[in-house]
Amino acid sequence: MNTILLQNLVTPNVSLQAVLPEMIVAFTGIIVMIYDSFMPKQRMVTGALSLIGLAASAFALFSMWGEAPASSWNGMIANDGLRMSFTLVFLFVSAMTILISTVWTERENVPIGEYHALLLFATFGMMFMAAGNDMVIIFLGLETLSIATYVMAGLRKSDLKSNESAMKYFILGSFASAFLLYGMALIYGATASTNITQIASMVGKANFPALLLIGGAMLIIGFGFKVATVPFHVWTPDVYEGAPTPVTGFMAAGPKASAFASFLRVFVIGFPLVSGAQASAFLHESWVTALTVMAILTMTVGNISAIVQNNVKRMLAYSSISHAGYAMVGFIGAGVAKTMQDRDEAIAAVAFYMLTYAVTNLGAFAIVTLIAQKNDRRTEFDDYNGIGFKSPVLAFSLSLFMLSLLGLPLTAGFMGKVLVFRPALEAGSTLLTVMVVIAVVNTAISAYYYLRLIVVMFFRERTTSWLEPKVSGALAAVLIITILGVFYFGIFSDNVIEKFSGKPSVQSAQIK
Amino acid sequence: MNDFNIIDYAPIGIMFIVAFGFAASQILVTQLVGPRKRTATKLMPYECGKDPVGSARDRFSIKFYTVAVIFLLFDIEVLFMIPFAVAFKYLLDQEKLSGVAFGTIAFIEILVFISTLVVGYIYVWKKGTFDWGLQARAEAREEAKQALKERKQQAIRDFQRAA
Repeated sequence: MNTILLQNLVTPNVSLQAVLPEMIVAFTGIIVMIYDSFMPKQRMVTGALSLIGLAASAFALFSMWGEAPASSWNGMIANDGLRMSFTLVFLFVSAMTILISTVWTERENVPIGEYHALLLFATFGMMFMAAGNDMVIIFLGLETLSIATYVMAGLRKSDLKSNESAMKYFILGSFASAFLLYGMALIYGATASTNITQIASMVGKANFPALLLIGGAMLIIGFGFKVATVPFHVWTPDVYEGAPTPVTGFMAAGPKASAFASFLRVFVIGFPLVSGAQASAFLHESWVTALTVMAILTMTVGNISAIVQNNVKRMLAYSSISHAGYAMVGFIGAGVAKTMQDRDEAIAAVAFYMLTYAVTNLGAFAIVTLIAQKNDRRTEFDDYNGIGFKSPVLAFSLSLFMLSLLGLPLTAGFMGKVLVFRPALEAGSTLLTVMVVIAVVNTAISAYYYLRLIVVMFFRERTTSWLEPKVSGALAAVLIITILGVFYFGIFSDNVIEKFSGKPSVQSAQIK
Repeated sequence: MNDFNIIDYAPIGIMFIVAFGFAASQILVTQLVGPRKRTATKLMPYECGKDPVGSARDRFSIKFYTVAVIFLLFDIEVLFMIPFAVAFKYLLDQEKLSGVAFGTIAFIEILVFISTLVVGYIYVWKKGTFDWGLQARAEAREEAKQALKERKQQAIRDFQRAA
């Protein structure tokens, strides 16, 4: 035994190249942290450093894209399409958030270096959640992400709402993490492994199938909280409303996508349907049914609650809940896919949906940040009264983002929805067809509150004075990128989706 | 496997007895020997120096918690260093025997680990966690500034009077 240990010491199964994008982000985070502690007065340098780090990480990611799917670090890190496409989303979200935050950090005198360091560490956690092919790595990534976002939610220290947001997120988040960890322990008990590939090969012959079911249920609770699906969504509006607006945009786009990445990996890849094994069939059927019901509830409750909101941030929070529901339709589509290729395409569709949502949502939050002013004063619907022709650039871009969230053809939101609904519809089961129909009806319902904002902006009289906010260079860059993104993903979605589904997951590559 | 012997577990039992005995004896001895002076502060529940009753939205010094965090940092450092130190001797012997640089590799790895911790140490240092008089010094500086201002005004007043 000792010789094996010693041999591992000399030639460990380590491939630094396989985690290069993550390493770059982590090191940039540390550099930013140290730089800020030596130069506390700087306002620009750490932001620039972070952007350079994220760009370098994206470059490393693209250079890895062509490689064949593989796993390294004793199977703990996967190098496949799921990881690549989601990691791209995280890097994009993080870079946009840094640009959007420039307005806010300037206005409220935030400890800027710490904020950037936290954002980078959160990004690092998200990347590991997508890359982890092992429950332990996924949990590690999740905790790194969560702890950083708890702090970020409470960064407006003197504001009670922000404090409440951070506290609520922290307590409920820890609770959800506990569920997740317990679920992972039970799954380990049933399959004798924390590795997703191993679990997938063991679900058919689990030691004690009931453990698998209970463990799976607990994992659904844990991930359901992070994704904000309906029975576990109650924290979302309060946390999103209280957190600083750029952080809200980040939370809605980044951590949600990362939770989807590991949710997909654990359930779709880890709990597949193994032919001839009754336990696995039962497990598969149960989680598909449970998630279908959750998806239906998530869409409906999210949309109906969004209608009655009077605060734009709260409305966007409920809208993010309903969008999690739409993404889950694609998720379930991936779960019931009959061939490996279909499955990988459905996974790519969910990643693409999260990308379109991130582009649209970050654009919308950029404008909400700009209009909100100091201490998020102007976030009610009334504050948007009649600004349409006073600040046409802002109003028209916000309208575009609302239409994309609604899913109007030619915008990113439309293509995202089409792609996630298709796999579920092709499965041909009645329940899934009903779910897709409900999803489409929900899209129609959501028109009410998305269009309401447009109506408020263009057709209401403004009673209070309107001071047009100055659009800084960084924010102009965000608006240009997101507007172009909305159109690009809406019209040329084929390019992106081909890139995303071009690399199969590790498991399906092994089977071939 | 089968020869389970309860005697093998006797040390654990003794450990429990010692633990309970220690706790009980401490309470007993303080009850019997210790002098009793009850003051209001002593009878308060212990809450890390904060008033236990009242609004939770008070401001309080965060120093106590940063110290706890730093303690954790060094605690974990030691937690890893001790097993390393135990294994290191064996690894050096292996290095002599086999010629493969086991000891050197382990040494480099522990250096990498320590350097990551040192980064955290530098950070808390620069953030002023070890600077206990930070607030007092800031107050003193503020006071000095105020005094200087008053003296200047006094000088101006004197000058005006003289004029």
